[in-house]
Amino acid sequence: MATDTGREFDGSGLQAGLGLDDPRRLLRGFAGLVGFVVLWYLVSLTQPPIVLPSPVAVAAEFRGQFLSGTMPEALASSIRHWVPGTIAGTGLGVGAGVALAWSGLLDDVTAPLVRVLRPVPPLALIGFAIAWFGLNHAGAAFIIAVGGFWINFYASYGAVEEVSDDLIDVGRTLGVRGDLDMVRSVVLPASLPGILTGIRTGLGRCWMLVIAAEIFSVPGIGREILRASNNLRVDRAIAYILVLSLMYLLVDVAFRAVQRRVLAWQA
Amino acid sequence: MAGVNRGPASGDELGDDPAGVVVDAVGKTYDDGGTPVRALDDVSFAVESGEFVCVVGPSGCGKTTLFRIIAGLTEATDGEIRVAGSPVTGPTTDMGVVFQEYHLFPWLTVEENVGFGLERTDRSAAERERRVDEMLDLVGLTEFRDSYPKSLSGGMKQRVAIARSLAVDPELLLMDEPFGAVDAQTREMLQRELLDVWASTGKTALFVTHDVAEAVTLADRIVVMASEPGRIAEIVDVDVSRPRERGDPAFGEHVARVRDLIGARP
Repeated sequence: MATDTGREFDGSGLQAGLGLDDPRRLLRGFAGLVGFVVLWYLVSLTQPPIVLPSPVAVAAEFRGQFLSGTMPEALASSIRHWVPGTIAGTGLGVGAGVALAWSGLLDDVTAPLVRVLRPVPPLALIGFAIAWFGLNHAGAAFIIAVGGFWINFYASYGAVEEVSDDLIDVGRTLGVRGDLDMVRSVVLPASLPGILTGIRTGLGRCWMLVIAAEIFSVPGIGREILRASNNLRVDRAIAYILVLSLMYLLVDVAFRAVQRRVLAWQA
Repeated sequence: MAGVNRGPASGDELGDDPAGVVVDAVGKTYDDGGTPVRALDDVSFAVESGEFVCVVGPSGCGKTTLFRIIAGLTEATDGEIRVAGSPVTGPTTDMGVVFQEYHLFPWLTVEENVGFGLERTDRSAAERERRVDEMLDLVGLTEFRDSYPKSLSGGMKQRVAIARSLAVDPELLLMDEPFGAVDAQTREMLQRELLDVWASTGKTALFVTHDVAEAVTLADRIVVMASEPGRIAEIVDVDVSRPRERGDPAFGEHVARVRDLIGARP
């Protein structure tokens, strides 16, 4: 019975978030947002702009940065390492997670290595990124890929381990022979909900790593935030943080739509 | 009076029976470091082609272990299973296997579930489609062909599972308490449907259950098991003509006889 309902997947997560399908929830969310901005505005009246600029000042800065072309350029640059980094990290993470969870032999061979590498934060690898790839998109993509890799590795590994032995038995009685056929026909579809949840978490995590990856002066949103902070331009820093949030939101909403489609059998 | 067959038919006389199953001195010991547990001991019986045999016994008598060994999903410690004369060394599409909890593939529609095994045969796409249509018609689920399993009731899910296992046209239908998870009314309906399917397809059926009345309703012969270690207590012939009515005195007699052998309260 449990296998029929896809117990490992939290379907409510799909409907949550923006609550686009429910106008009342949308309205409440909007009210919350307006309330926050009003509160921010009121508090900003009591503080100098270098501590907390007003939302109006941030909006003006956002517009200025956008129209001057600095912001679109920074965004384009960030996307140029976010996209390859995310794709590489996601692909390798899912692949390794599925392979190691399915193959006891691979798992045994790699277990010590995984334990050694896992605790290394992506930021600690900046030296390697520079040495191996240089101060460029590839170096930044490497940092992003490392972060995305682990999230996807563990999500996929867990999802495959959760696949019920009973479904595998059914597959065997229906003529599935060999690891490849079993993984393709039973294991992957059965673990897809967990794998997709991992990918979605990874997409967000990779956006956060854009900031970290740009610490070493690769141009992009992250470098603009760091520069603005160093120059005490809090308004500019907030404007670029908003860009990051909007990009995350865009990607997340788009991915959730895909997820809902692919997992229609589960909703 | 319930006929009693002490001991199994010897396996060899069924050697060439195309759908005959021979369970030959099968034993299973679970030994994971602690005290070894003898789950099955010297279980031998034979099922003839076209016959409907039920295996009943109290919980813990190893009937599910026996089912898994026959299906080729678990290895026996001693003895062997032969289907149509060849030893079973792993799962084979000569057997259609139906599990208690249906285990439909939730990401596939009813139609795709039924067609799953067919994709691994050398039938053409047109043939596969025709076969799926036939199976859906057989279990009366044609109008639900595009539904996903989550929207089906337990009884419907089990019909899909039966259709899925029959689609590849196995000689033997092997079932482990397939109606254990549905309500009593649905169970009786499914029993009738299963008998119809069995009669119309001429398959050999081996059906594991703990429900004595179910076994007497369905079986030509009942293999009654005892526990600790799991072994055969008796093999009982059910010589009551079909369709069988629960109110029929002969029916009650068989139920009482099997219950008595199991040691359950009447």
